[in-house]
Amino acid sequence: MMNRWSSCFEQMVSAAAAVFAMVMFCSPGSAGAAAATASPREKHEYTNVIMISVDILRADHLGAYGYKKGVSPQIDRLAGQSVLFENSIAHSYLTPVAHMSVITGQYPRQHGMVSFEVTRDQVAKRTLPEILKYYGYETAAVASSPEFFMRYDTESGKIVNPKDIFSRSFDFYGRTMPDETGSTRVNPVAALNWLKANKDKKFFLWVETGMLHPPYSQTVPQPYKSKFDPSDYTPFYDRFPIRLGRENVDRGVPTEALFHVYKGNYYLDFEPIYRLEQKDVDFIRGRYDAGVYYTDMFIGELLNTLDSLKLSGKTLVVFHSIHGENLGEHGYFFHHDVYDTEVKAALMFRFPGNEKAGMRIARQTQGIDILPTILDYLQIPANHEAQGASMMPLVNGDEAGYKGSEYAFIDRLPWWEYVLGGWHLEHQSEREAQYTPLETGKMKDYRTLLQEKIGGGQYPPQCIAIRTNQWKLILRQRSKLLEEISWWNFISGTRFPVEMIELFDLVRDPMEQKNVASEYPQVVEKLKKKLLEWDEANQKNRVQTKPASGPALIIPYP
Amino acid sequence: MNEKQNEQDVKLINRREFIKYAAVGAGAVAATVAMPGFMMGNAEAAYLSKLPMKYKDYNVVFVSFDALQAAHVGALGYQRNVTPTIDAMAKKGFNFTNTISVASWTVPASMTWFTGVYPSEHRLTNKFSVFNPPNNNVLSNLKKLSPELVTLAEVLKQNGYATGGFTGNAGVSGGFGYSQGFDEYFFEKGKFGSMGVSIPKGLEWLRKNKDKKFFMFLHGYDMHGQNEPEGGFDYRFVEKGYDKKYTGTPKEQEALREEGLANGKTELRDADVQFWRAIYDEKIQRTDARFKKFLEEYEQMGLMDKTIFVLTSDHGTEFHEHRRFDHGFSLYDELIHVPLIIKLPKQKTGKVIKDQISSIDVMPTVLDLLDVKMPENAAKQLRGASLVSGLKGKPVAKDVFFETDYRQYTYKRGIQTKDGWKLIYTLEDKSRELYNLKKDPHETKNLVDQEPRKAYELEQRIFAHFKAIGHDLNAKQWIPGLNPVYDSQAKGAQKK
Repeated sequence: MMNRWSSCFEQMVSAAAAVFAMVMFCSPGSAGAAAATASPREKHEYTNVIMISVDILRADHLGAYGYKKGVSPQIDRLAGQSVLFENSIAHSYLTPVAHMSVITGQYPRQHGMVSFEVTRDQVAKRTLPEILKYYGYETAAVASSPEFFMRYDTESGKIVNPKDIFSRSFDFYGRTMPDETGSTRVNPVAALNWLKANKDKKFFLWVETGMLHPPYSQTVPQPYKSKFDPSDYTPFYDRFPIRLGRENVDRGVPTEALFHVYKGNYYLDFEPIYRLEQKDVDFIRGRYDAGVYYTDMFIGELLNTLDSLKLSGKTLVVFHSIHGENLGEHGYFFHHDVYDTEVKAALMFRFPGNEKAGMRIARQTQGIDILPTILDYLQIPANHEAQGASMMPLVNGDEAGYKGSEYAFIDRLPWWEYVLGGWHLEHQSEREAQYTPLETGKMKDYRTLLQEKIGGGQYPPQCIAIRTNQWKLILRQRSKLLEEISWWNFISGTRFPVEMIELFDLVRDPMEQKNVASEYPQVVEKLKKKLLEWDEANQKNRVQTKPASGPALIIPYP
Repeated sequence: MNEKQNEQDVKLINRREFIKYAAVGAGAVAATVAMPGFMMGNAEAAYLSKLPMKYKDYNVVFVSFDALQAAHVGALGYQRNVTPTIDAMAKKGFNFTNTISVASWTVPASMTWFTGVYPSEHRLTNKFSVFNPPNNNVLSNLKKLSPELVTLAEVLKQNGYATGGFTGNAGVSGGFGYSQGFDEYFFEKGKFGSMGVSIPKGLEWLRKNKDKKFFMFLHGYDMHGQNEPEGGFDYRFVEKGYDKKYTGTPKEQEALREEGLANGKTELRDADVQFWRAIYDEKIQRTDARFKKFLEEYEQMGLMDKTIFVLTSDHGTEFHEHRRFDHGFSLYDELIHVPLIIKLPKQKTGKVIKDQISSIDVMPTVLDLLDVKMPENAAKQLRGASLVSGLKGKPVAKDVFFETDYRQYTYKRGIQTKDGWKLIYTLEDKSRELYNLKKDPHETKNLVDQEPRKAYELEQRIFAHFKAIGHDLNAKQWIPGLNPVYDSQAKGAQKK
């Protein structure tokens, strides 16, 4: 039996080989022959991808989104060649948190980039560059926001540049070097050189710029730096300096000055010493716009380089803002909350051949939809870990085919006060120049308060928002605690109230100035229910802000 | 690696050559049919082409040889002659040499034959669902099958069949819902019973029902680690010089399994592995002989020509191929590759079908052959496909899926493509194992890092598959533990 069986077996194998060979050579319709002729290729086999990520960019400061000051001619040109999303919502007000959602398609609680001191193993690994590498892409990045490449080592007290969370899937991970002002937040021009040297490869290039970050216009050279200044203007912070005897060099609108401004007043020693005028606000916004303008010049150069290298026709360009910025609309100039000023993002897809150029999509979409859309376009299977949905059906005019949520969910994660307490107050020793002696003295108490109330990252997470194109509901279940630990309340010496529930009618009140929660209790109920359902379904990671053990590497911020 | 291990490998490779061969491609399979005389003579081919494929009102005898590893079946390439009866039926019938079970242990795997849905759907995925000593030591048996599901026995009963199940209890105990649809369902509580008990019970029932049309499920744990032959082993295949470190008892078997679960591996010498395989072969041979006697009595009742036989196993078992022992905890080939033989009434000549198929295809195939339709409310239940077109020579090879949540020790999901790629995804730690079965039939080289795109795409297939059947694997936290599987392990626990 054994012998017979094995000899039969040999026959089978040799006969099979013979049959297969025969089929290969004799039958033109066979699979073997078909492989030799050209089969329709999938887009990932020949399409480059460039993702341009602009940090702190407000969509409504771009011409393409209705801004009238003409600060973005090049981006507007790009918009004309692209499909533009009018209502793309970022998931956080903080750069690494929001951007990780873009490149993983996951809410922050899922991807784990939920503080400025998590370790690489706590964060999702399967990012856009990682997946594209599976498909043979050369991956390169040039980033200028230190959040993406710089860490403070709490043990050595030194700034280090680890190969970690954001850089790990890149073949080339470039960064900008500090300019004469000491900031790395300059245009990432090295990206142009990389393009020229690698134009013949199939590539994914990530170009990131943090130029718009406070201090506004710090790295913008003249004459652009003061291009949008009001005439005959002296900044209020020069007239009321925080510390006397500082060198008077224009390094943009200083972050420390912005940290002393709240609800129209400039505070020093916990007293309002100056009421900001329209001219002051125009100046600050003008300096922000100067950054947009200078960024825009770089975008133009990047687009021209693509044209001259003949890459535009085979490159998908994704342009987006990582998150926005509050420019006084809610009393402060910074990004620290979940208002539309901070989370409404610019988003455009320029498809090869300028397919669907000029199309504008009003349907609300989310940051987590960007990765699925890119993969879908490239004909790469969607990653099951992504929580968003491809927007390609919207691009193709099939609104019903879009499986994304009708709601956008935003997390104030981590709490801004937690970030502030971590690096700004705890680990940086050179704060003296930025605060008055009285403030510096009291700051110890404030640090102690933060440590007691939200130290170790064990703060309650309930500071979340839900958004549709009509409504925004913000839920702060621990509003009293937020009030207690508020930086603005500390620096102003005042107790400004924090609302537990805010509802805004975005159609009538896009800048979210009037809380209408009491007028629309049913809307509040409905949205709150949806929001809490989402909160319940996305519990994971929301408080795992600290590494389990070992030295902490903190992103030095702000 | 010593000589004996090499010998072992040779045997395994022989089995694997089937898959290798099948993987030559659908073109070759189709060509097989177009080339009479390749596998069989012209006369046999002509015979098969005329063989009817509808058997309305015929009987079905469905036999599960629990824990029969495909590699130990003669008809699947095993060298030692331990399955002559099974092999003879394989020769007369259709021998599916690449049948992959949906799970690697009895409770989840067997219910898929009877419902045609995946274990995640019929939910018999663990014997005891709650056991977390010391605080929560309550055993909770999964008593009821999902009430929406219709079982094979129910469908046949509705179509006028007498239905009888004769089993060794344990994983196919009536308590889990296995008795659903059976007029009579035999299982002895607390036992891993053998066919030595279930066959006589079955024959008794047959004598009463032989004039009706009937569906019979025959099952035994004779080959399973928890069963010992009545009268003990005669150690017929054990090498003379073995130092008797082990004697082959269920207790030893259990201890080896638990050691593997606790440490991730079991310490065994090659001689021990040889011993355990020898013990296994003795069990298999004894079972085959029992089955032979059953067939003789069956023939005497004059039922052979009126009966479709389905011979299979729910899962295999591990003999240290991946450094562990027993089954349930992994999804390697030694655990999910099972025999499947379908012999039609009066069939004289058989055929080897190398196409990869799944145990989930068995129920649709049986219903198709009997010309019985699913009731309207369950028309969409069956996830598999009838293999009848395969019996007619058409290609039926498919990508297959499998899973195990064994004792909540681990939560694994897998896919095996018809072109020989396999990905196992472990949910609790998101680890992945990718194997190229054509080049690496023993599943020893994890290619996740070398073939990231293949791993990525197969991972997406697994998640898409489970999502499509209503189980979003991302919607749940997978927290491993180690629940008991036998009452004896759950000392101090209370049954609920």
